[in-house]
Amino acid sequence: MGSDPGRRRALGLLVSGGSSLLLGGCGLNRWSNAVGAATQPLNERIEALLQGKGPLPEFRRSQVEPAALLVNSFNGTPNLPPESYRLVVNGAVRRPLRLDLAALAALPQRECVVRHVCVEGWAAIVAWSGPRLADVLALAGPSPLGAYLAIRSADQYFETWDLASALHPQTLLATHMNGAPLPVANGAPVRLASPIKLGYKQSKWVTGLELMTSLGDRLGTWEDRGYEWFAGL
Amino acid sequence: MGGNRKGLTGHCGEFCRWIVWQRVQGQLGRLTAFPWRQPVITLSDASGSARPGAHPLWTRAFHGFNLLVLLLMAGSGLEIYNANPVFGGRAGATVPEWLTLGGWLAGGRDWHFGVMGLYAANLGLWIGLLLQRRHRRLADGGDLGTLRRSASPPRRRLASHRITYTLMLVVLAFSLITGLAMYKPAQLWWLVSLFAFAEPAGHSSWQTLRVCHLATIPAIALLLVAHVGLSWRVGGLRLLRRMAL
Ligand code: HEM
Ligand code: HEM
Repeated sequence: MGSDPGRRRALGLLVSGGSSLLLGGCGLNRWSNAVGAATQPLNERIEALLQGKGPLPEFRRSQVEPAALLVNSFNGTPNLPPESYRLVVNGAVRRPLRLDLAALAALPQRECVVRHVCVEGWAAIVAWSGPRLADVLALAGPSPLGAYLAIRSADQYFETWDLASALHPQTLLATHMNGAPLPVANGAPVRLASPIKLGYKQSKWVTGLELMTSLGDRLGTWEDRGYEWFAGL
Repeated sequence: MGGNRKGLTGHCGEFCRWIVWQRVQGQLGRLTAFPWRQPVITLSDASGSARPGAHPLWTRAFHGFNLLVLLLMAGSGLEIYNANPVFGGRAGATVPEWLTLGGWLAGGRDWHFGVMGLYAANLGLWIGLLLQRRHRRLADGGDLGTLRRSASPPRRRLASHRITYTLMLVVLAFSLITGLAMYKPAQLWWLVSLFAFAEPAGHSSWQTLRVCHLATIPAIALLLVAHVGLSWRVGGLRLLRRMAL
């Protein structure tokens, strides 16, 4: 077999080609963004199609996994005194609002026991409770032209959602977690919680909601750095 | 073509020239038996195909493309793994960077979900076509019987080879199913709930899914070693080369 130099050379080329694909992660890594940009529009359409408007099945309270819920924060832990807390709702709405915690507590309360899935790969079953985001938005008289929701947080975290996901019956402005008031590390006094979005869409320490007719330059804190915008589950 | 071939330079050109040359040799090899070639016994001989050893172009195309997208999926998957290791979480050990693809978590996800459509389409079409047109080449109960009863080494090798590559297709389909369950765990909750079997032992269905999905990498790697080794035993370099596009 050694008498066949062509064959040996070709094997060498195949081997070096194969290993440089692995090592060439370095070379290919430059294309990550382009690959995402080329394929996400189609993926997001399929995700949106899959994502029905109806509620999803929930877990039992006994299945809650408090220890599995890790804490991520992009900019420290803001402290929002409950007495002075106000949730601003504005944008394409007839009645811009400044709601205090009593106003949120006066709305119908809902508990959702759902899986919280982090983009990093871990997940935890959590019982969130509070008013539905849809009910809060309805208070403000949303314009039919509203299509996106911008969510501002006290730590400058920023998110935008498609309105259909924001209006999903299990998308809450949670004020309680696992039956107790929301801990500060988990977003007290008010955070977003939803079974249909990855964790980074679920802003903590929410202070502002703005109904928008189109998306602006900023898509979100992580999205602007390259993470997927729709991020549906 | 001949004129172009002379113009090719560098490794790439050499490689192309080599392929063309090998193609010509392959044709000759089939017509005039070269003494240094061992006779090729392939599975299609065993199943009585009209043209011994002929793999249709389509199966070779699916075969090659599958390997390419599989490497991309595995590399980007390991990048995702490193964001939060399946074993040990944030304190867990990460895989070496040279095995990963994407550069960072978002990049790994770009590749993983960018290529998953191609991976799934290629695998689905390939399995579909194999079942329809070449199902006699896939393993069946008879192969297990051969392994249990036959004493003839070539027959045993053929049977284990059919079982090996058929299992590979099963493992790849399994990675697709477990991947889908973690890509859309809310909408495909019924798929996730199939992995609740370890809950009595204290393992959440999510962790079970992660372990199952990750396990496809060592599983396919082991099967791949067996597959290439068996191909070599069954048909030598000539068979390996013929499978390469
Ligand atoms: C269509 C097919 C696939 C889909 C939809 C898919 C989907 C996913 C998803 C959603 C994750 C993230 C899991 C998490 O957050 O923990 C993931 C992780 C991963 N995937 Fe895939 N995947 C597919 C195919 C593959 C294949 C073929 C391989 C390699 C053989 C692979 C290897 C991995 C690895 C190693 C991880 C990291 C495990 C983890 O951190 O949980 N995937 N995949
Ligand atoms: C994970 C990757 C791979 C998978 C899933 C896979 C799967 C398969 C399948 C299903 C067949 C039968 C195709 C048919 O008869 O139509 C096959 C045949 C073959 N594969 Fe692979 N393969 C893989 C990688 C490789 C690699 C890396 C090589 C060579 C270095 C290789 C060499 C061969 C050869 C030579 C045959 C022909 C076997 C025969 O007819 O006896 N395969 N493979």
